[in-house]
Amino acid sequence: MNAFNRRYQNRITFLARMLLGGVLLVAGALKAFSPAKAASAVAAYKILPTELAHIVGYALPWLEIAIGALLIVGISIRFAAIVGGAVMILFIAAIISVWSRGLLIDCGCFGGGGAIDPSKAAAVHRTYALEISRDLGLALTALYLYFFPYGLFSVEKSATTNEES
Amino acid sequence: MSKQVKAKSGGDHFTRWLVIGMVALVVITGVVFSIMSSTNKANESFTALKNYPLGAQVAGTIDPAQGSGLVLNPGANVKIDLWEDPQCPICRTFEESNGAYIDELVRTKKATLVYHVLSFLGDESIRAANAAMCAADEGHYLDFHKALYIVQPALENSGFFTGPNLLKIGGYLGLKSKSFTDCVTKGSKADVVKAQEDAMPTYKVTGTPTIFINNKLWVRKSSNFDPVEFRLAVEAG
Repeated sequence: MNAFNRRYQNRITFLARMLLGGVLLVAGALKAFSPAKAASAVAAYKILPTELAHIVGYALPWLEIAIGALLIVGISIRFAAIVGGAVMILFIAAIISVWSRGLLIDCGCFGGGGAIDPSKAAAVHRTYALEISRDLGLALTALYLYFFPYGLFSVEKSATTNEES
Repeated sequence: MSKQVKAKSGGDHFTRWLVIGMVALVVITGVVFSIMSSTNKANESFTALKNYPLGAQVAGTIDPAQGSGLVLNPGANVKIDLWEDPQCPICRTFEESNGAYIDELVRTKKATLVYHVLSFLGDESIRAANAAMCAADEGHYLDFHKALYIVQPALENSGFFTGPNLLKIGGYLGLKSKSFTDCVTKGSKADVVKAQEDAMPTYKVTGTPTIFINNKLWVRKSSNFDPVEFRLAVEAG
């Protein structure tokens, strides 16, 4: 495993950056231009008081865009990975919270969001599980980038690329 | 696990703060842009209320025996119970196709109307319902109710039904009295709003809009609240 990682780390890091950065950038961009929708999607989680939820709804898409852009270009990758990973863990916690309180909502992950008809409960729960595993995967991707931030096609480079010290 | 390290560390602090600063800048600019674009949209919807013709006052009373509903024009031959949430989009559809007819029924004393203003869609519904009950005290429930659906945003809990915006709606209608303003700002009708909401299970109301004609659930056959169908149902009693 270690040998494998040493050999391909350059490429794995690149793919990880594109994956996490790409998802963040797309998810952010889809939400950023329908701010009212994003704000009401955050409010639908009923975790924060409505006013605060709206501010988060307005800010989150832009944070995703900024972090996504850093990851794709390859600047401050470690910092971006920490923030990106933290955001994913936040999303996982929010979905678990919604699930455990029995709320049926659309996560609003890629725009949209809001309450869902109770007759679709089973489908919604399946979606929750999928969303949690997806975000978990992305969080692990962020973790990998924290440990190995430097790889192919990155503006920022390590002087000791591919060498573990 | 071992970490990759960067060899060069001079000037690194500067770069880090520069990056954090840039990220913060993007986020702040974005938030300002987002707030401005939603405020614009909100203001646009207010223009629909310009020159709103305020109707005559209609006295209303809260009847605890009828799920704390607001009763307008009691004692008519037909009684219609309307269960609605100010933020519910289908209630808006119902209001658009049948609101004028219902207003006429009340104003010409042809029917008793019992309004149950629900608020299960969130904080903003609670605030809007409270303001509607404040308007009822002023004798202008019908007008305020209509105005709420005229300006209803496409999305629930999008930050539109705030205290100031609700006062603004009242302002367009001409509801500017101190009693109304205080009532909206203080949320004075919280008890009534909660009592109306809590009455849902008693009347087996699970969604909105729910309509009872003479205490009988109206089951519509059309998908869009066909006004003719509704009128016939009301006339049949």
